[in-house]
Amino acid sequence: MTATPARVILICSGKGGVGKTTLTANLGIALARLGETTVVLDADFGLRNLDLLLGLENRIVYNAQDVLEETCRLEQALVKHKQEPNLSLLPAGNARMLDWLTSDDMKKIVGMLAERANFVLIDCPAGIETGFRNAAAAAKEAIVITTPEMAAVRDADRVIGLLNTQGVAPVQMVLNRVRPKMVANQEMLGVSDVTDILALPLLGLVLEDEQVITSTNRGEPLTLNGSGSPAGRAYMNVARRLRGEEVPLIDPSRERRGLRARLMGKIRRTTGLF
Amino acid sequence: MAAALSVASDPHQPHLLKLPPPQGAGPLLEEVRQALGLAGLQGPLSLICGDWQLRLPDLEALQTLLTQQGLTLVQLQADHPETRVAAAALGLHLGPNTDSRRDPNSATTAPALTVHQGPLRSGEHLQAEGSVLVLGDVNPGAQISAVGHVLVWGRLRGVAHAGRHGDDQATIVALQMRPLQLRIAGAVARGPDEVPAAGLCEEARLVNGEIRIDPASPRWPLRGIPSLGLNVGPSPSAQ
Repeated sequence: MTATPARVILICSGKGGVGKTTLTANLGIALARLGETTVVLDADFGLRNLDLLLGLENRIVYNAQDVLEETCRLEQALVKHKQEPNLSLLPAGNARMLDWLTSDDMKKIVGMLAERANFVLIDCPAGIETGFRNAAAAAKEAIVITTPEMAAVRDADRVIGLLNTQGVAPVQMVLNRVRPKMVANQEMLGVSDVTDILALPLLGLVLEDEQVITSTNRGEPLTLNGSGSPAGRAYMNVARRLRGEEVPLIDPSRERRGLRARLMGKIRRTTGLF
Repeated sequence: MAAALSVASDPHQPHLLKLPPPQGAGPLLEEVRQALGLAGLQGPLSLICGDWQLRLPDLEALQTLLTQQGLTLVQLQADHPETRVAAAALGLHLGPNTDSRRDPNSATTAPALTVHQGPLRSGEHLQAEGSVLVLGDVNPGAQISAVGHVLVWGRLRGVAHAGRHGDDQATIVALQMRPLQLRIAGAVARGPDEVPAAGLCEEARLVNGEIRIDPASPRWPLRGIPSLGLNVGPSPSAQ
């Protein structure tokens, strides 16, 4: 359907809870808003919740297994997003079928999706076991997401090594949940500490943002409403960079100052009073 | 320092003749004649040449001398590539080339150099039978172990083990030494807590059974690796 071959991108981290699914959901919406036909595939079928984050939980009828068994057509299994018709979701399966999905199954289903989309995003399960390996087998490129914590960085490093052996390239990274204040006080790893170890191009930098939690609970990704939330903007920028646009990275040391400090600074400069 | 001769107790084992460093030594035949003395030794002999550069005529003359004494040259250990080539041309059995600092009796020295390009990431374990050179970083969680030396052209932040089979002369060299743990032969040490100064290449080695880190000496620890096309000069005369 599309002239150029689809980009099949694995979103993985190794460690759990660093933001794989949140990134997948937000990136899916962002790419769709930028006009790209996008499919998100939930390969974390043991503990699937990509549907939850996208607010599509109650619309799922079929899954990838049904497609492979030909109990339904692919079109039936794909769940189109309510507000963004460019985006659809395919759940890999349900929690009861933990071991049915082989790497060949993944390749087959991804191949079908790649025919009808510009972007296929695979939400990878945590860990480096079979689920990860099967998902990685189907992917061409990858985004490794990590937080500035030693354990997350260590696991990401391990995952990058495995991706390299599986021939997945390019691998880029997103640094999630950065707290500028803590970085400034040297209580948290800085951006350069992480890039030093992982040695990957930085695709995005997402600051810690409480709105992520509320949006997750509502099932409305931050990129959906185009709100000015910092994390939402960061995810949108990741999508732009993925498409090849040049978007400068935010500088966390400058984001450190709160609104009040910035206002005071402005008053100080304009009035020369203080 | 004169040539050292160690007489084999077992008649089936070769006697060992170790030449002194070529710097400051006399002509080859003089050294050998002096070392053998009038002991009237007979049987097989293994010659440890170290850095001596011996060409085909030198070796032939040496063989003649030894035959006159009733000795047979059966094995030759040499670090200099030309010596090794000449010995091979004569059909002599070539032992592994050794570092002259090493115990000639230990068979742990392997000539091979494994070169690994790119970073060594967490969970990866690189094992080498000879020495190993990493062109890249060794990340935390990664492990590297070698029978010989460990050389890291990058940051060493994981675990490194040199001299895995007990070679206590093995060293670990890194452009930036920030290891989690260092092991040389049987010794283990935690990495230093403080961050080293930038741009300081450091070297870890065993001193009196303990691992010590110093600024690296400008000396290439591997010699005689012609396969790399390296122009490796002789070691400093201090050795």
